[in-house]
Amino acid sequence: MLQKREKVLLLRTFHGRTLRIVREHYLRPSVPCHSPLCPQPAACRNDGKLLTSDVTHYVIPDWKVVQDYLEILEFPELKGIIFMQTACQAVQHQRGRRQYNKLRNLLKDARHDSILFANEFQQHCYLPRERGESMEKWQTRSIYNAAVWYYHHCQDRMPVIMVTEDEEAIQQYGSETEGVFVISFKNYLDSFWPDLKAAHELCDSILQSRRERENESQESRGKEYPEHLPLEVLEAGIKSGRYIQGILNVNKHRAQMEAFVRLQGASSKDSDLVSDILIHGMKARNRSIHGDVVAAELLPKDEWKGRTTALGESDNEDKASGESPSEPMPTGRVVGILQKNWRDYVVTFPSKEEVQSQGKNAQKILVTPWDYRIPKIRISTQQAEALQDFRVVVRIDSWESTSVYPNGHFVRVLGKIRDLEGEIATILVENSISVVPFSEAQMCKMPVNTPENPWKVSPEEERERKDLRKTHLVFSIDPKGCEDVDDTLSVRTLNNGNLELGVHIADVTHFVAPNSYIDTEARTRATTYYLADRRYDMLPSILSADLCSLLGGVDRYAVSVMWELDATSYEVKKVWYGRTIIRSTYKLFYEAAQELLDGNFSVIEDIPEFKDLDEKSRQAKLEELVWAIGKLTDIARHVRAKRDRCGALELEGVEVRVQLDEQKNIHDLIPKEPLEVHETVAECMILANHWVAKKIWESFPHQALLRQHPPPHQEFFSELRECAKAKGFSIDTRSNKTLAESLDKANDPSDPIVNRLLRSMATQAMSNALYFSTGSCAEEEFRHYGLALDKYTHFTSPIRRYSDIVVHRLLLAAISKDKKMEIKENLFSNKELEELCRHINNRNRAAQHSQKQSTELFQCMYFKDRDPETEERCISDGVIYSIRTNGVLVFIPRFGIKGAAYLKNKDGLVISCGPDSRSEWQPGSLQRFQNKITSTTTRGDSVTFHLFDHVTVRISVQASRCHSDTIRLEIISNKPYMIPNTELSHQNPLLLKSELVKEVTKSVEEAQLAQEVKVETIQEEYQEYCQTKGRSLYLLLEEIKDLALLDVSNDYGV
Amino acid sequence: MAGLELLSDQGYRVDGRRAGELRKIQARMGVFAQADGSAYIEQGNTKALAVVYGPHEIRGSRARALPDRALVNCQYSSATFSTGERKRRPHGDRKSCEMGLQLRQTFEAAILTQLHPRSQIDIYVQVLQADGGTYAACVNAATLAVMDAGIPMRDFVCACSAGFVDGTALADLSHVEEAAGGPQLALALLPASGQIALLEMDARLHEDHLEPVLEAAARAARDVHTLLDRVVRQHVREASVLLGD
Repeated sequence: MLQKREKVLLLRTFHGRTLRIVREHYLRPSVPCHSPLCPQPAACRNDGKLLTSDVTHYVIPDWKVVQDYLEILEFPELKGIIFMQTACQAVQHQRGRRQYNKLRNLLKDARHDSILFANEFQQHCYLPRERGESMEKWQTRSIYNAAVWYYHHCQDRMPVIMVTEDEEAIQQYGSETEGVFVISFKNYLDSFWPDLKAAHELCDSILQSRRERENESQESRGKEYPEHLPLEVLEAGIKSGRYIQGILNVNKHRAQMEAFVRLQGASSKDSDLVSDILIHGMKARNRSIHGDVVAAELLPKDEWKGRTTALGESDNEDKASGESPSEPMPTGRVVGILQKNWRDYVVTFPSKEEVQSQGKNAQKILVTPWDYRIPKIRISTQQAEALQDFRVVVRIDSWESTSVYPNGHFVRVLGKIRDLEGEIATILVENSISVVPFSEAQMCKMPVNTPENPWKVSPEEERERKDLRKTHLVFSIDPKGCEDVDDTLSVRTLNNGNLELGVHIADVTHFVAPNSYIDTEARTRATTYYLADRRYDMLPSILSADLCSLLGGVDRYAVSVMWELDATSYEVKKVWYGRTIIRSTYKLFYEAAQELLDGNFSVIEDIPEFKDLDEKSRQAKLEELVWAIGKLTDIARHVRAKRDRCGALELEGVEVRVQLDEQKNIHDLIPKEPLEVHETVAECMILANHWVAKKIWESFPHQALLRQHPPPHQEFFSELRECAKAKGFSIDTRSNKTLAESLDKANDPSDPIVNRLLRSMATQAMSNALYFSTGSCAEEEFRHYGLALDKYTHFTSPIRRYSDIVVHRLLLAAISKDKKMEIKENLFSNKELEELCRHINNRNRAAQHSQKQSTELFQCMYFKDRDPETEERCISDGVIYSIRTNGVLVFIPRFGIKGAAYLKNKDGLVISCGPDSRSEWQPGSLQRFQNKITSTTTRGDSVTFHLFDHVTVRISVQASRCHSDTIRLEIISNKPYMIPNTELSHQNPLLLKSELVKEVTKSVEEAQLAQEVKVETIQEEYQEYCQTKGRSLYLLLEEIKDLALLDVSNDYGV
Repeated sequence: MAGLELLSDQGYRVDGRRAGELRKIQARMGVFAQADGSAYIEQGNTKALAVVYGPHEIRGSRARALPDRALVNCQYSSATFSTGERKRRPHGDRKSCEMGLQLRQTFEAAILTQLHPRSQIDIYVQVLQADGGTYAACVNAATLAVMDAGIPMRDFVCACSAGFVDGTALADLSHVEEAAGGPQLALALLPASGQIALLEMDARLHEDHLEPVLEAAARAARDVHTLLDRVVRQHVREASVLLGD
């Protein structure tokens, strides 16, 4: 017969009102006691698990003990445990489902000697909670009461020990009933299980972590992260030097552990810190995300940690932590976020199996961002299953201090995982590049040029501009198939015997009025984005490919710089800037120009301008053109030599061109090779940029947009110096001049790749060139270190760079200022310009990253379909260019790939090379020296890899679901890879440069001839999408010179 | 806090009952002298009062009169203080109309209406406290009241609810169990013949599970019958003592 009792609960409703709830509570005379000592087993209805009879006592843990020490109670050695229902409910309500389920499983586990006693439903054990009694006290009282009942129920035959953490309870109940002992849990373990070492250790560690948690909760009240400090406190702290402001930079390869605060602004000058501040662990990072501007507090010196130098793989974090870290560096923790830099993130939903492991509550899903540096984001969605195979954009909403992960929401789907379009879209979103087509409103302001309604030079403009159509031979040199020609050249002899060199740049500002729709759009885009297989224009194609493009045989507006040079010394006598009208006579491509320069006239067949001429006039025209190109080259050499004397650097970058076949599959990866003509064109452009920079700075000393390249920190060169020393060269890095000279000398005639690598290392050590406003820094900081010029800007590519548009406006304003005319252009003030420069620099970086990532994507796709075991292309020659504790970094000249190769694999085996120099994995150890790394097997064989050794590597692709695929290198032999046929001979570095150039052009042309049909189809596609094939090589060279080189090795945990 | 566990691994429900156990039922007949019949019932914390008038002549429009049987008119209402939150429940809202209709269907099946053509029987039920299973309490109270009024019936109408949690059928759901949102079945049974006067189910339940749930509800209804039968006999005994037989 049940007894009915009533329990009154007072609950708080969602609206904050107190709700009185009356619940029934039924008590019964007997509940199963699960004890073999039970006097009336029939009444108790003991079915199922019984306690064993061979125990000396029963243990009844208090609710607190069950909550905190459940892991110890799980030990199979502990027997005769009776969990009271009261304690179980306390776990359920206060510790959540996970721990409660653990307890339930424990009770179900037949091997574990524990039972649950439903004391609250037993009429003698149930005690109603008294008025004013705290929940905790009532629970302890109930459990004790039940323990006493249980003891009597077993007819006092088995002593019962109640273990509790409540001192008061021990005092109060300790000796109340004979046979029922109340002691603390620690005491219990000590006296009954002194030999159970594991339990003691676990107990200690639980105690300690609880104490820590309590300490922390005094500050943070049980939160996952400490609260951020208020903004006023942060600002005051930064001013006083207590906190340090900087940008948080997460180490991609140890995203969980390592992040750095890159110092920024005034605080770096005040404090004597040189290096970045290490932020170790997620807790210290305190909810800041990569890119946030944070305020950090330094930890005391004895808590400083070192960074890890081993090659880390993202999937074996813990292994990397086992490596001995380098010497300690300033370590700190984030106390507040000054500016959040949250953007859209591309994420991947967990696959089906992973979802299940995330538990029942499937509405909240942890998604993995594509970028390793971003923590997982918690998303509420019902569509998780449908979105599994897609790359998805999410946005972070908040990150509460009580939450381990940030909360976000789903925004849109980008595309399928591993699908080219989806992956490209991912790259774009990750770099915050928006490539929506130009809108109607933007396009309707554009001039038209159709066969019915052709664009014409207007008479007013004709009056105002200098007309060069009749007087000058203007031509352009660009890559094949280029549509956006923004620079043309001219050279002629003046009547006084002097030379006149002209650089004519497309007059984009004529069409793009300041603050027009197109202007604002171009400003947001800031640059044209070139990906490996496509490009996204800054300006609509009507401008970029037509009206602004200085095509052959049509009248175009231009902004020109013309120098009068001395005929022999090429000294600049006079310079003229202004708006002009030009008609380009020849639209040459680099290869043809180079042939003409080398005196090989067979290429004229390829130049359309010569086709319709008769033999005689063709000869005359050809002579004129060849003279011009020759003269230009001569001038360029001269200017270059002058710049070299000041210490201009030539740095090496490896660019890879992706060759596609007709199905748009990647056919081959070809490193791009420079020609001398490239240099000529580049030199003329540098000259123009330099003079324009001078001009606008003179006219507007406080609001001119220039480009600076600060001299690098000497300490960054240490690696370069050491590497060079390994080969017996010494690199003098004191100035750009000495660096350039010593780099030229550091040439190993047997292996030119050494020089290339040294140059690229030098590049890496340098900082990036940046746009800036002249009003924002002192004149001595204007210098361009790499080009060795005191002033430099970008003027020559207004079609694809917004900075050039700004410079054009500045130049035109300067011209009107000279003529004492009023300045029509409303120029940016210093402040605005600074802001704009920051934006453009930012976008340029995004453009570079996206280009690099897309190239890597294509590299991976190229190697993905190939079986690395059988396909010959996947085996290549590599050069070791850096040594790490567990591997080496390898450069593959054939494909321009840089990457890490491990000498020690995940199982701890090291590489060893047999007599046939084939490598295999053996147990052993690695020893790292300054310039070499030795792998010794337990059998005693050893193999040593020196810096700049040639090895044979196998290239494979490591697929990853949530992130981009990565190239994986594996050393398969310590001997250089023997090239089996001459087809690949163009990579043979022993050839002289000009020979090499011919070799390349020939082999490339051969290859192109072979697939002419295919190429045509591709060209059609390019036509359709208005894309030029590849990017101009001039642009490449210029970028290299601007030291904006990218390097994969940056990312290998350096 | 984790969600409430409706049925523990040991087989206990939130309030300490086992799956098939009913809540405590207490009932009294003849609580009001002025009505023809009345009864009060407590099922756990659900409390209902039923009053019966009739059979009498049709009130209001005579057109409603049925030529061959009596008209059963049921009205349901619940007190403003019946739930945890005080809430005004006006007459004729959707819920009470529906409940009234259900009661009417139930009792048209049980009362021998053909014995009283062109007359009317009024059943008024009021819920004083609602803690789950209001329909069942109403039917049980009304049965007693109809009997108290001396209106001939085929049999007792005994009602009980049942639910389904974790593969087990639970009899006589309390408010907590109802609020958890699982399937809920209300059954009104004529226990002697085993005929079903009304069966209602909201929420979805797999066909395979219907049988055990129905079975649990029917068993609970029979248990209710035992109890009600005891109450009726007790009442009759008391009444006969008063009459001095």
